[in-house]
Amino acid sequence: MTIEKSAVAGTLESSDAQITVEPAQDGIQLEISSSVMNQYGRQIKATVLDTLERLEVTSGRVTVVDKGALDCTLKARVECAVFRACGQSEKNIPWGGAVK
Amino acid sequence: MSYTVASVTTRRGLAAVDALLSRCGLRRDPLADYTCGVYDQEDVLCATGSCCGATLRCLAVDDACRGEGLMNLVVSHLCEVQAARGNTRLFLYTKPQSAGFFENLGFYEVARTDEVAFLENRKTGFADWLSQLHRADVPREQTACVVMNANPFTRGHRYLLETACANAQAVHVFVLSEEYGPISAAVRKRLVALGTADLPKVILHDSGPYIVSAATFPSYFLKQDQQASQVHAQLDLAVFERIARQLNIGARYVGEEPFSQVTALYNRTMAEMLPASGVDFRVVPRLRLDGRVISASSVRQPLHDGDMAAARAMLCDSVWQYLTGPEGQATLDAIRRTDDLIHH
Repeated sequence: MTIEKSAVAGTLESSDAQITVEPAQDGIQLEISSSVMNQYGRQIKATVLDTLERLEVTSGRVTVVDKGALDCTLKARVECAVFRACGQSEKNIPWGGAVK
Repeated sequence: MSYTVASVTTRRGLAAVDALLSRCGLRRDPLADYTCGVYDQEDVLCATGSCCGATLRCLAVDDACRGEGLMNLVVSHLCEVQAARGNTRLFLYTKPQSAGFFENLGFYEVARTDEVAFLENRKTGFADWLSQLHRADVPREQTACVVMNANPFTRGHRYLLETACANAQAVHVFVLSEEYGPISAAVRKRLVALGTADLPKVILHDSGPYIVSAATFPSYFLKQDQQASQVHAQLDLAVFERIARQLNIGARYVGEEPFSQVTALYNRTMAEMLPASGVDFRVVPRLRLDGRVISASSVRQPLHDGDMAAARAMLCDSVWQYLTGPEGQATLDAIRRTDDLIHH
């Protein structure tokens, strides 16, 4: 999928994460700030990058403000932001395919 | 306790917001274009925040409700409102002592004054912007700077730049990037480029969101009371201090300001703040034509009225050719359609 416009998903409430995706050239630029950066920063990064890869997003600027979200939450928020960014949030969501 | 977030539009709702802000030592910004409130189950206002362009401001939580993450609700909600407007690059104003709190919400400090801290939601936003600026390889005392709206570029601007060029080896010129008024930012910058094509010392830059922008200096673009303008001017100059350091700027030149109140206030604030940060502040008297000073608004007026001879006398030839050529037609039409041409 291609990031066509900027989009946001999630919140800054405890146990959630706010994901912003914006169009960009030259691969994925990932910026993470997290209340549990020291403990889970690497895992957050891996989860976000995995999700983007599964959605076949190859370039874009992705900003994560994490407030201690579980992996499943992170995954859902990233998926939602990407779908919104390519205008698919209302239809054609690939359940069972890229979204597992 | 469960809370709901809602936009506040009624007079009664806004009165409650004003009361909460004043308990926190703040007041609602008259420029705010969206205000929200967080309400508890009894419908009592517990927290509030506002948007103004791409900035978040007037953020407060009632003392009785601290520690419940209400500011997180407010900022989440305002970020959604901004996303719906297409704004993902956001700025935030807060008291200097609260800046640290917002760093946990994904905002990073750009600059601060005694009264206000200015944050952005990109970790390296300002640093990246600074590093892409083209530097000149000349000593500090030979490096000058001019910030101009150039709405449009006149012989008066040209005179100011010639004066700066006569006293420096490099002149950084920032043209305001904010879109407002009938002449687009791209056209304004194009006209400066045309009007300075024969001045090799001039280095043109976009001012971006960091110099006299709707983010750093919102009151510049509207009629506004002096108090807010003063705070914005100080903040704008606190940001400029870092730009001056990056580009090794030794002097900033401005034109004397006989008309616009807000520009005059900005100049006065510069006179106080720039020397303290090691930048010379130089005011150049305005160029006169037949005894009257040339200003951009004194060019917009005859362009609007169709008095082309009067406008031509105040414009450089290259600028005149552009405006009256095929590319300038849309701009001229826009000026003619605009009624409020004066900058307050």
